[in-house]
Amino acid sequence: MTISLDKPGPPPLDDHPPAQVMEPSPSHRRGLIHLLWPPAGIIAILVVLWLWVHSRTLDSIEQRTLNPQFITDAVLSHLKITVIATVLILVIAIPLGVILSRPSTRWIAPLFLGIANLGQAFPAIALLVLLTMWLDIGLTPAIIAFVAYGVLPVLRNTIVGLQQIDKGLIEAAKGMGFTPARILFRVELPLAVPTMLAGVRTTLVLTVGVATLATFVSAGGLGDIIVAGLKLNRLPVEVTGAVLAVCMALAVDWLARIAEDVLRPKGL
Amino acid sequence: MGPSIWTYLDKQWVRIEPLVWQQIELIALCMVLSALIGISVGVLVWDRPKLAGAAQSTASVILTIPSLALLVLFIPPFGLGWLPTVIALILYAQLPIIRNTITGLRGVDAGMLESATGIGMTRTRRLFRVQLPLAWPVILAGLRVSTMMTFGISAIASYINGPGLGNLVFTGLSRLGSANSENQVLVGGFGIAILALVFDGLFLVLRRVTVSGGLRV
Amino acid sequence: MSDSTKSLSHSDQPTALGIELENLTKIYPGLSIPAVEKVSMNIPAGDLVVFVGPSGCGKTTTMKMINRLVEPTSGVIRLGGRDVTTGNPVDLRRQIGYVIQSIGLFPHLTIEENIGEVPKMLGWPKGKIAERVREMMAIVGLEPGQFARRYPRQLSGGQQQRVGVARALAADPPVLLMDEPFGATDPITRLNMQREFRKLQQDLGKTVIFVTHDFEEALLLGDRIAVLGDRSRIVQYDTPLGLVGRPADEHVSAFVGASVHVRLLGLITAGSVADTSLAAPGTRLVPGAVTVDATTTLRDTLDRLLGGATVVPVVDATGKVLGGLDYPAIQRAIVSQMAALEHNTGYQGAVRTGVARQPVVAS
Repeated sequence: MTISLDKPGPPPLDDHPPAQVMEPSPSHRRGLIHLLWPPAGIIAILVVLWLWVHSRTLDSIEQRTLNPQFITDAVLSHLKITVIATVLILVIAIPLGVILSRPSTRWIAPLFLGIANLGQAFPAIALLVLLTMWLDIGLTPAIIAFVAYGVLPVLRNTIVGLQQIDKGLIEAAKGMGFTPARILFRVELPLAVPTMLAGVRTTLVLTVGVATLATFVSAGGLGDIIVAGLKLNRLPVEVTGAVLAVCMALAVDWLARIAEDVLRPKGL
Repeated sequence: MGPSIWTYLDKQWVRIEPLVWQQIELIALCMVLSALIGISVGVLVWDRPKLAGAAQSTASVILTIPSLALLVLFIPPFGLGWLPTVIALILYAQLPIIRNTITGLRGVDAGMLESATGIGMTRTRRLFRVQLPLAWPVILAGLRVSTMMTFGISAIASYINGPGLGNLVFTGLSRLGSANSENQVLVGGFGIAILALVFDGLFLVLRRVTVSGGLRV
Repeated sequence: MSDSTKSLSHSDQPTALGIELENLTKIYPGLSIPAVEKVSMNIPAGDLVVFVGPSGCGKTTTMKMINRLVEPTSGVIRLGGRDVTTGNPVDLRRQIGYVIQSIGLFPHLTIEENIGEVPKMLGWPKGKIAERVREMMAIVGLEPGQFARRYPRQLSGGQQQRVGVARALAADPPVLLMDEPFGATDPITRLNMQREFRKLQQDLGKTVIFVTHDFEEALLLGDRIAVLGDRSRIVQYDTPLGLVGRPADEHVSAFVGASVHVRLLGLITAGSVADTSLAAPGTRLVPGAVTVDATTTLRDTLDRLLGGATVVPVVDATGKVLGGLDYPAIQRAIVSQMAALEHNTGYQGAVRTGVARQPVVAS
């Protein structure tokens, strides 16, 4: 349920539904210090959490819940949900974005994005529960819900990234005798990559956030620890789960930023 | 299959209606407070690059935090129900508001500011008479984005007894398989979505009413 | 701008106030060289003084110190004899009209709201503001019924500039500061604005400081012109006539010489523009009186004027008086010639630059 909009981009001024096109974060501004801050912060938070939990005398219920096995399972299943959902999102959203930005189909794109925007108003938790009711409990409905929920940023940024390319450049490539496919792969996609990557980062953060809800449909994740803590009414447990979820989101955001820097075509 | 959604709505409306009003109150309250806070922060930092960067980074980190985690972390200090919900929603709403306030204020032409000072405006008058009205369309766009997000997150807040239609979703979830559970989730989900779109439409009206004709193209 | 400019005393302040600058200096933090260094000058009440000089010479900075948009590092500014370098700058600014090149009209406010802003800040009652706004609009030639409720973007550049002037004058300030106010308008509009503004200023009798880099504009508008060099050093502070006739150094004379207006002086003969109201045709002259021949250029006529006469009679070859010339008459002649050139040639820009570039004019 979190949407990362951390770069001051051009704000939506028109009367269309608010278009949160993520702008690529500028790499030149971010030195080593900026790259090292987040992991330092995450580690500090984890250390404080560990010290706090260990300073308390845990009762038997807390000891049973806060065991390494349970925590590792939750972390791994959380990562699994996030990775599967994100991969599926990329596989769906990028080709769809490319298709929707071809000259012949371009006119559908605003319509498509408009509908997707409307769909975004439907709360993720409700979508998750409904899919579970229709498809039975477990990983599959959770993944479908998260994919449906996370497709929009990548789709939108792919379309925008492709559409904002200088038309003269494409003309020039045509003039050199490039085939449409070659133009797509050699010119359009590389130039759209920074914008697309920004969308991917948003989707990742979004997905790692909603993955905490997977627990409600018995699909695992860090939500398991949080909910266990609430149900057992054990503060150390719920705080541990919540803090781990926060740290994982921050870590994923950080990794996505690094990926953005590394994967960006060098000339841009 | 349980009863149809229309039968459910008809029979249970007495129970649903208060939730609808709660939802509206919650979002209206949160957005008014968020706007006051976010715009104030934007006004204080917009011409101080370091502080502006810090404010935006902080708001951006907050937005990264999974909402369920933040809501649960708020239970020890703030308890359950309205209070932690309102605080969390205000925090989540900050980034678009702060960012757009900064962008909007930075977009005001320097000559305009000089002119305002030159004709004898105090800083305060200049802010309210010139800067904020000129930045308002951009700020309003930020408020609109925030409102949509706040609706989505508010559904999850019902898990910690927050107010609103999210309660129907969680009731349905806890009674998975019972006669009306699907209807409850549907009504909760679509209720929030429809209200979100209504609020979105209200922003267009608000824009029409509050943005000076001199700024509309 | 019409001439319905009577009954303007809307405030208890005097119509105009003199300005004295004394050793005015501005050093921006972190810079070793002052932007403005020890400028002293006296601007009489009701005069229109033009600061002219190359860009970056500090003329705008000097002007902005007067309404303290730029705080002086040292030195004193007196308005009507009162030291205004201390005290509340906001109060000071409300009694100084201010017009800048980008006009600075507030796009979200209507024309009437823009013009009424300063009176509103001064706490005038609503009815009086409304009345004043209508009056100001009429003065600058904008029909209130047509324009009052419009927004700035619905007006042409020239109309916006008129609103800018109206706004600056709305609270009847004794002093008006103008920073290249007509710089962004096209040549024809500019010429019209300049002439109308000159007339308006003469009617209202405000003290005006007008900053420009355009020497023609300075000659056309100024009662006095301050030619400024580096750090706002005053190279020459003189009347237009004095500046043309007695340039203080090569710098000023180059400035003067490059001016199309001044070049036109060498092209127009006294006979073609002799003003019969200054000396009736056929007037008998005292023997030995200073006269100019009808074929004399205006430039040479100016030289005669510098000799001390305020009016020189223009005579034909037989010695018969055709009319007379004084400085304002020469100025009018130049202006109407400029206007004719700009209207007829169709490539206005070329009149300014082209003439200056081609040595077609006798010097």
